Amino acid sequence: MLRFKLNGEWIECEAEHNETLLDLLREKLGIKSVKRGCNVGECGACTVLLDGRPVNSCLLLAPLVEGRSVETLEGLRDKPIMRELIEAFVEDGAIQCGFCTPGMLISAYSLLSRNPKPSEEEVRRAIAGNLCRCTGYVNIVKAILDASERLRSED
Amino acid sequence: MRPLPRFRVHRPESLEEALELLATLEKAKPIAGGTDLIPLMREVKVDVKHLIDLSRIEELNFIREEGGYIRIGATTTLSDLVESELIASKAPALWEAAASMGSPQIRNRGTIGGNLCNASPAADLGPPLLALEAEAEIRSLDESRCIPIGEVFAGPKVNSLAEDELLTEVRFKTPPQGAGSAFEKIGRRKAVTLALVNAAAYIEVEDKTCRVARLALGAVADRPMRLGEAEEMLRGKELSEELIEEVSALCSKLVRPIDDIRASAWYRREMSRVLSRRVLLKAWRRCKA
Ligand SMILES: Cc1cc2nc3c(=O)[nH]c(=O)nc-3n(C[C@H](O)[C@H](O)[C@H](O)COP(=O)(O)OP(=O)(O)OC[C@H]3O[C@@H](n4cnc5c(N)ncnc54)[C@H](O)[C@@H]3O)c2cc1C
Ligand code: FES
Ligand code: FES
Repeated sequence: MLRFKLNGEWIECEAEHNETLLDLLREKLGIKSVKRGCNVGECGACTVLLDGRPVNSCLLLAPLVEGRSVETLEGLRDKPIMRELIEAFVEDGAIQCGFCTPGMLISAYSLLSRNPKPSEEEVRRAIAGNLCRCTGYVNIVKAILDASERLRSED
Repeated sequence: MRPLPRFRVHRPESLEEALELLATLEKAKPIAGGTDLIPLMREVKVDVKHLIDLSRIEELNFIREEGGYIRIGATTTLSDLVESELIASKAPALWEAAASMGSPQIRNRGTIGGNLCNASPAADLGPPLLALEAEAEIRSLDESRCIPIGEVFAGPKVNSLAEDELLTEVRFKTPPQGAGSAFEKIGRRKAVTLALVNAAAYIEVEDKTCRVARLALGAVADRPMRLGEAEEMLRGKELSEELIEEVSALCSKLVRPIDDIRASAWYRREMSRVLSRRVLLKAWRRCKA
């Protein structure tokens, strides 16, 4: 039995030794925001938070998350930072096919949680591990900067 | 893309326990961040029955300064290196190399031990650790040995460790006040790419004279290499841009690059000159600062 915290709640489930967290989340736990793109760490579509830090779930063996905390968009969507990000992504046209969006949002969320006022360069570095085939990144960077600005004007 | 082999995962909590598992289990391999090993297993057939996860072994996870040395545990992640004040202030070449690697996701998982033991000729931590004259501590159940960092690399993607050994620690002398070091690389994209060429330099200057000069390049031979002849031309001299230019031109002749799908040997020679010049100038500037 594998025991870990998924989106704030402790769960127990069966996992194969050679199963990745990505497979476990998608195939067994019904967490579909986590996407399978390249399966080898290059595209970021499978990004989740592990103990609060973004990691590629396609490179992480499921048994290794025992006792740790995993967060996905399903659990983060109602957090103030994530709500603002989602709104900005929609308004700024940062979503086209949407495949990269959940991973992109997780990386952006992680950035704004640590650094409420990032520079454009810092935003670009934070999403360097998230590929987008559609948008050309300009609107994604703009959306993240807009969200950070709005979050600051709210406090 | 292949399915992962049918291995069992073991999660020891002490080094002793991990070494015992490696010594007794057949076809066992360590796994740290898995950022090299998992993609490798999807690409080629890897004959492995047991994976020994190192992530729960607390005694392998540290960065500290002790007895004139900076000591770094094998499972220290690239993010840990980037977030370390000590590394940023005392070993900027190592800091810059770690910061340049992969993506945030990769840096949060990838480790110093994994980067070295994977033994890629392009491993970004190779040149800075060579330039810092680091050594690696290698342990098995009944033996502990310390080797120069370059000797971890045995050939392209082959390390020199026996199957029952682990790299436990990397350490180098704390650079003195007034020393400077720097790292640069050229890749095809800004992030998430192996270097086409990478380079690091370490310089100590005293009364305007260069006392210590070390230069290392990666991805220009079957493993990261020091450029001893170039270093000799700098030692004992008063540094100048002209001298560094001259030494860098020599570097393009000292390297032994190959043509591969990522770049031609000619291009790698040319980039060896360019990067040598950049890291030497940057390290020198940092001595003066
Ligand atoms: C998308 C992507 C981008 C990347 N970008 C870069 C880059 O820019 N620069 C770069 O240099 N690398 C890069 N890498 C490669 C990789 O991330 C790094 O080499 C990383 O440091 C490997 O560490 P790890 O802990 O994940 O290694 P693992 O995959 O866990 O292990 C690698 C190998 O070392 C062995 N091993 C691990 N730890 C030990 C130990 N303590 N003792 C003995 N053997 C051990 C394992 O058995 C395995 O054979 C990238 C990889 C990916 C997927
Ligand atoms: S699916 Fe994990 S990084 Fe592409
Ligand atoms: S919106 Fe299609 S991949 Fe990014």
